[in-house]
Amino acid sequence: MLARAATWWTILRISLEERLVYRGDFALGTLMRFMPMITQIFLWGAVFSGLYVASGSRPQIAGYSYHDFIAYYLLTMVSRAFSSMPGLASGIARDVRDGTVKKYLIQPIDMLGFLLLYRIAHKLVYYVVAAGPFALVFYLLRDFFPGWPDAWTVACFLASLVMSFLLGFYLEATIGMLGFWFLEVSSLLFVYMLFNFFFSGHMFPIDMLPGIWGDLVMMIPLQYLAYFPAAVFLGKVSGPELAWGLWVQLGWVVFFILASRLAFFYGLRRYSGFGG
Amino acid sequence: MAIIEIEGLAKSYRVYQKKEGLRASIRGLFRRQYRTVEAVRGIDLTVEQGEFVAFLGPNGAGKTTTLKLLSGVITPTAGEARVLGHLPWKRENAYRRRFALVMGQKNQLWWDLPAAESFRLHQQIYRIEPSRFERSRDELTSLLGVRHLLSQPVRELSLGERMKMELIAALLHSPDVLFLDEPTIGLDVIAQYNIQSFLRHYQELRKITILLTSHYMKDVAALCRRVVIIAAGRIIYNGSLSGIINRYGGQKVVSLQFIDGRIPADLARFGEVILEEPPRAKIRVDRRVVPEVLSGILAGYSVEDVSVEDPPLEAVIAEIFSRNGEPPEHQVGQIPELLKEE
Amino acid sequence: MSEHPSYLRVLLTFARNSLVRDMTFRGNFLIDAFSSMSWVFMNLGFYVLIFEYTPMLGAGTGWGKYEFFVFLATTLIINSLVQTFFMTNADEFGELIRTGSLDFALLKPIDTQFLVSLNRIEWSSLGNFAVGLLLLAYALGKIDYSPGPAQLVLYPVYVLCGVAILYSLMIALAATSVWLGRNQTLYDFWFYITNFSRYPMEIYRGPFGTPLRRVFTFLIPVLIVVNVPARMLVRPLDPRAPEDFLLPIFAILATIGSLAASRWVFGRALLSYRSASS
Repeated sequence: MLARAATWWTILRISLEERLVYRGDFALGTLMRFMPMITQIFLWGAVFSGLYVASGSRPQIAGYSYHDFIAYYLLTMVSRAFSSMPGLASGIARDVRDGTVKKYLIQPIDMLGFLLLYRIAHKLVYYVVAAGPFALVFYLLRDFFPGWPDAWTVACFLASLVMSFLLGFYLEATIGMLGFWFLEVSSLLFVYMLFNFFFSGHMFPIDMLPGIWGDLVMMIPLQYLAYFPAAVFLGKVSGPELAWGLWVQLGWVVFFILASRLAFFYGLRRYSGFGG
Repeated sequence: MAIIEIEGLAKSYRVYQKKEGLRASIRGLFRRQYRTVEAVRGIDLTVEQGEFVAFLGPNGAGKTTTLKLLSGVITPTAGEARVLGHLPWKRENAYRRRFALVMGQKNQLWWDLPAAESFRLHQQIYRIEPSRFERSRDELTSLLGVRHLLSQPVRELSLGERMKMELIAALLHSPDVLFLDEPTIGLDVIAQYNIQSFLRHYQELRKITILLTSHYMKDVAALCRRVVIIAAGRIIYNGSLSGIINRYGGQKVVSLQFIDGRIPADLARFGEVILEEPPRAKIRVDRRVVPEVLSGILAGYSVEDVSVEDPPLEAVIAEIFSRNGEPPEHQVGQIPELLKEE
Repeated sequence: MSEHPSYLRVLLTFARNSLVRDMTFRGNFLIDAFSSMSWVFMNLGFYVLIFEYTPMLGAGTGWGKYEFFVFLATTLIINSLVQTFFMTNADEFGELIRTGSLDFALLKPIDTQFLVSLNRIEWSSLGNFAVGLLLLAYALGKIDYSPGPAQLVLYPVYVLCGVAILYSLMIALAATSVWLGRNQTLYDFWFYITNFSRYPMEIYRGPFGTPLRRVFTFLIPVLIVVNVPARMLVRPLDPRAPEDFLLPIFAILATIGSLAASRWVFGRALLSYRSASS
């Protein structure tokens, strides 16, 4: 058990080192993430000013005021910082295609465990570097927030963030595993990215969508990657609805853990069946 | 007429030094440490029109760097070089039209297209007249026996066929000077032989000047009369191939065949036994004591056949490399990140 | 025999070779075209959604739904041209630097920037160009104002200026991978910077917006890219309003300046590459 822990610790440490090598990249990348925020602020500013002239009163869109919108976008930045997994699915698919995946058959390492640790290391380094810029931006834009929610809501927010990390990881891992069955997954990944971008709530609060569209989008797990944690923090979901939401999110996490495990198991079997 | 004149050519560059360990990586975020690598440390060389010269040396000795300097891809830190009267690193079109560089480990043909399409692009870039272009394309493809492969995508060709196409692409504009960086690397014996004979034939026909680096002694022995040995960025030998053995081959190999089929147990007293394969044996002895050894053996044993040979070229050269023993400095496998030097 | 190759012929050969290549992978070609178009339609959906809630993008700016669609179509046209001709090449340029394959480009008796920038032409991106043209025609039919002949002539000129500005920025960014090594964030940077060009410049106002607008108009002129041509089609050129004329004049200068700057950066990068390469 101890030896196993040591192995995992080594993997984590090496991953950390690897992430730290490219310095120029690192500093730039973190700052850059806030740039789209600026356009969003001005875009919605313009939308609301147009609306104000038209309606005269204090305008709202789908229950969001201008301030809510900005706060919402800032919060989805936080959820995305947990749930986004750049290169995970495509990396797995590539490993499958070029045969690198075979090393997990030979070495006594569990691939999903290894990748998860690598991702955690990646995220940890990112949080360390990004904490400063995040704090700065949130401080500068503090007036857009309605104030701190109560401790229970904050706890639920944090829980949904951790689960959004796990959901993001296992969801993308499952998609990457499809590489065992389809040689070319890049177009599939593109479709996933497209849906993720628009229907996780990253682009706009998904309760803005009218009628059946809104209901449909609320049913798929993507909302837990960006929209849900932000909505929790802003008090858009509360009470029994909040508890239910967290359970559903957990359900999706478990579902995709099982899905990725199964896909890996059957994928490898198929692979060795081929004589890869 | 001297085609290539090199004087005191030197090239060094800075390399970011990555340290082991987590703490060092974090420190590397803030302060980087650099190391200066001296790839070429002052080379003097003159090559005449029509020569075929080989550059030999261990990995990282500076052979490729020298070729890159001469083709103007990189600029030297010090020294002078003129090729065909041009300063290579000025990269004048007038110079770039007159030479070619072929690198065995890199390819310049469009991977997904038939070689014919890449050739046509070369025709446009080098502005080769259509009739001349067609003539040299047809000539080269028939010489190398790849004419039937012209319309096949490059990715479907074998390594040897691809290398031939690379050579053709380099020769389409009839360069006066050709730089070849390990053109036969990774090829099988037949492909190697084909490329060798092509190069020899083409060079004899056109009298162009060729510089070649190669790890295969066979390439060198088959093609080059003159050999330049580079180790740790300096020239340590410049002369004929046979001259290497005279100068460095301090030992000879004596091959013996014994009549009774048994090899005497005390053979080692004459020299180092390098082969024991009854009834034959080979011993390595110092060149100066060959007469004594021979008379001693012939007096003591019944020998059916005897011959004295030079040791194989590879062995001699390997010895020169190891004797000039500063381990080549930048043989670190992969250089992590190259940075600008000021 | 001339010293210089015929650049037009070389360009045509690039175009031809790229097409031959694309046609050997017809499946990929269609998927690429289709997926980038679906991205466009998703975006279009988003703006339709916004205009469900508001009649105008910014009070008094004149960017109503269909005016904004003209703007959007212009963005599409410009971006698709950049993608068709330069995006893949800039991407590959970074790769060439990292793998050392830039050597071959340096050997050729042709301008290295030309060779590197136009080597590969991505025909599949022209799908969006078509979508842009259709959207433009549709939106122009829906708005009351119809542009005069001068505007119709100037529009393509300014579209090309926009392409040139974006190209300059892109190739300069790609060239910095000589100094920075891996350049994934450069593409993020590219995405974020051009993000500013995607909306009418009038939305940047107030104590923060105004300086921002100036920076991205005068320093890194990405706001000009779409704004100048798009505005030309949706609004009459008022002979009394100096800004209606000053901005287009400035756009020409900015185009020349950007191209010159990118050429300078490219040259510096080559020098560094050549002194660093082993």
